[in-house]
Amino acid sequence: MGSHHDIGRTALGGIASVLLTLGVGGAAAQAQEPIKVGVTLTQSPPGSVIQGTEVLRGLEIARDMFNEEGGVLDRPFELIVEDTQGIPERGRAAVEKLITSDEVVALTGEHQSSVCLAQTGLVARHNVPYINTNCWSDDIRKEGHPQVFSPNMYNSRVATAMAEVIKGLEVDSVFALAENTDWGIGQAEALDELLEQTGADVDYQYELLDREARDFTPVIQGVRGENPSLIALIMLPPAAYVALNQLHEQGVIPSEDTWLFEGGGLFSYPDFWENVREAALYGIYFDLYHTEMALSDLGAQVREEYMQRHDGTPSRLVFQAADSLLLIKEAIAGAGSTDPDAMIEWLQQAEVEGTRGVISFSDEPGPLFQQWIDTPFVTFQVTELDQTLEETTLISAPDSGVQIDQLHRPKN
Amino acid sequence: MLTLEAIVLGLIMGIFYGLMAFGLTLIFGILKVVYFAHGESFMIGAFAYSLLALWLGVPLWLAIPSAIVVGGVIAVVVERLLIRPLYEKFGDWQAMRDEYAIIVTFGLSLFLVNLANQIFGPYPFRGPELTDVARFELGPMIVGGHRLVAGAVGVVVLVAAYLFIQHSFWGKQIRAVAQNRFGASIAGIDTRMVSMMVFALAGGLAALSGALLAPLFHASPDVGVLPALKSFVIVVLGGMGSPIGSLLGGLILGVLESLGALYISYTYRDTFAFVILIMVLLLRPQGLFGERAREV
Repeated sequence: MGSHHDIGRTALGGIASVLLTLGVGGAAAQAQEPIKVGVTLTQSPPGSVIQGTEVLRGLEIARDMFNEEGGVLDRPFELIVEDTQGIPERGRAAVEKLITSDEVVALTGEHQSSVCLAQTGLVARHNVPYINTNCWSDDIRKEGHPQVFSPNMYNSRVATAMAEVIKGLEVDSVFALAENTDWGIGQAEALDELLEQTGADVDYQYELLDREARDFTPVIQGVRGENPSLIALIMLPPAAYVALNQLHEQGVIPSEDTWLFEGGGLFSYPDFWENVREAALYGIYFDLYHTEMALSDLGAQVREEYMQRHDGTPSRLVFQAADSLLLIKEAIAGAGSTDPDAMIEWLQQAEVEGTRGVISFSDEPGPLFQQWIDTPFVTFQVTELDQTLEETTLISAPDSGVQIDQLHRPKN
Repeated sequence: MLTLEAIVLGLIMGIFYGLMAFGLTLIFGILKVVYFAHGESFMIGAFAYSLLALWLGVPLWLAIPSAIVVGGVIAVVVERLLIRPLYEKFGDWQAMRDEYAIIVTFGLSLFLVNLANQIFGPYPFRGPELTDVARFELGPMIVGGHRLVAGAVGVVVLVAAYLFIQHSFWGKQIRAVAQNRFGASIAGIDTRMVSMMVFALAGGLAALSGALLAPLFHASPDVGVLPALKSFVIVVLGGMGSPIGSLLGGLILGVLESLGALYISYTYRDTFAFVILIMVLLLRPQGLFGERAREV
């Protein structure tokens, strides 16, 4: 039988050991507890399932690579994926669920502007960091939410690229076919503004097409009647493929009289050549990735991993997705926690080497707010059937101006 | 000349619409079921044709009828498993619970779209064209080579389907059941067999429409959504249950869409169908060839 002193010491020791056990156990539990990242993307129609598939592939590659290196703060990443079907209200519901039920520390993956626009107000209200993977609409940044960061392409930059090529080509009339989404409308309008800014003497008009539609012949008849010097295509597959083929069916492209400028990064989709044949020839294509583009070590690893897993060349979406998760990882590491304010503050000052360059965010209000302004892009021309990306003719690259003299015209 | 070209292109598109609407109106005529999964028969035909030709190398002349068979067989399975239980327990079709049919076929539509998405993946497939000629140019008028050949195939099949309904032994049975299911059964007609046959015909024709349009529309899980909506409009325009109405309704809609898109605005092209729907319902609810009916 011990003394009161012994009893007290034993009790204290017991409490200490319990606390220690709890503490160690808690730390161990926390070490194993994954960091939940909410992902919204399109996995079923009517949205762009092709884009959603590529984004998910990129995120999964990045997750696996980061987790192999120990994750962040000794915790692995867990992606919680919600299908939005490309429908804004579903995207909003998905975000609500991911934040309130799954308690994710950040959100990413979204690739359709209409859905992003429905989500950003909600993430601002809940104060959760949101990495915009592929929503190009300028309206997203105009809202000025500090939680939203855009390391991807944006409409006014694509329009700038288009306007530069159009000016270089010295064309006198441009007809844009744009899908009736926030992205398509925004880009068609931005091109109008940018053409005016460049001072190009161009007659510009555009027609909005329903992305669900499959017969564009009546509008293409009108385009043929106008005989424009350049057609700007601002659409996503499958409607974009359909439009290209129907332009070819009507004899509009490829042609000695009319250039085609594709502004949606269509060429890098894995099914491009299966869906578009002669219609693709002599077109000028915009994209965020080209095999001649310099990749960082991370970018090269992502590319290699993609080719091993999916037996093909990765599209820009894969790199954009990897960059998105990288930013979340670096923000948590930099902030030392998953505290949203600390992550946001860190991201605002960040300079992170991504897959295709050093990512930093502008603090300029308006369409460039928290946007990676210097997003690298390329334009290239396709001159033969079944050309691979490396076989295309590069017209402009991040470190070079527009080389109009590289362009070829078909003989009618 | 642009107007003439728009009319020609509209008529060709109207043939494909007609193929869709013909089956839909037969289903309604026989079973009084609004079959919401009809667009998925179109999708099945587009996939069947494209994949048989592209993956298995089946010759195009065989891939087209194969797509019809696939569409027809799947429609029969649907009728047997999902539609028949709706009316089998009710001796008379008038006692059938229509609301069940709406829910079942709407659910089936969503199921098939998502199933196709899981099986075939997110990437669209462009079916091979029926001719190597890219386009036919008649003066300033241009019509795509495949579009013209596919339209011709569609006309032949539509005429054959119409003659089958009007003059064949089976067609007469179908019309008898459409007029009075109960009376036809008393006269010895196997109404269940007729229902199954109508589903096979409707599924096959919609699948043919999908197969013929696969090179132009590209096969994807949701490719049948818009054609199905338009075929509903055509059925109302032509008169519910009227095969000739669906044929003419398809052609009228095709031409109106084409001219409207050319001279008013393409943006509203798919809206024209619904404007027509509203106008018909307001001014002639029985449609062009439908009969006035009232329930007692």
